[in-house]
Amino acid sequence: MSTDQVLRETSEIFIDVMDNEALQIKLDTSAKDIEEWDSLTHIQLIVAIEKHFKLKFTSQEIRNFNQVGDMIHLIEQKLG
Amino acid sequence: MANLLKEGEKIILLFKVNEEVYLGFKSTFRDCNPLHTNADFARNKGFRSEVMYGNILCGFLSYFVGEKLPDKEVIIHSQEINYLNPFYLGDELRFTAIIDHVHESVRVIEFKYLFENQTGQRIAKGRISIGLL
Repeated sequence: MSTDQVLRETSEIFIDVMDNEALQIKLDTSAKDIEEWDSLTHIQLIVAIEKHFKLKFTSQEIRNFNQVGDMIHLIEQKLG
Repeated sequence: MANLLKEGEKIILLFKVNEEVYLGFKSTFRDCNPLHTNADFARNKGFRSEVMYGNILCGFLSYFVGEKLPDKEVIIHSQEINYLNPFYLGDELRFTAIIDHVHESVRVIEFKYLFENQTGQRIAKGRISIGLL
């Protein structure tokens, strides 16, 4: 799956979890850019992404996410 | 606990819908809708007798999460319930929860569950997501 495709599908998950249709997710988007992105929505986001892409993150991998791009590239890697 | 519970595992419990449960719910929340409190009204609407409060099942879900998981350090993140058939005073409900997903990275366990009555009729089903504190 291409970076664009992963980003597009992940953006839909962000919009659903954050309940904000206006969200524009880019590779350099981080938690400080999205008001709704708190510790609880972060958990919901990870759960939804793991289910959608049928993959699992480790807690160490999640700690290394600084921006959306880190997440997208790891998803791409895991999807092989 | 995420290490103890594996995807696909089942937990089965039995719940009796007795007067203590029914009257306790009624007196606590004061929902006196005739469907739940007047047998004639309920029969006229096509039910066998007073229909039990659907949210009694949410109380049973609370018991499951609070008392029957291997760890007490848990919190409900979300739950959904779909009602399939009514249940009545005196029914014995069999509750089956199946672990659908374990998200170890964020310490979340998701269950699918089903309530059935003593004849095997499906009463309600849904999902519940539990966070480990």
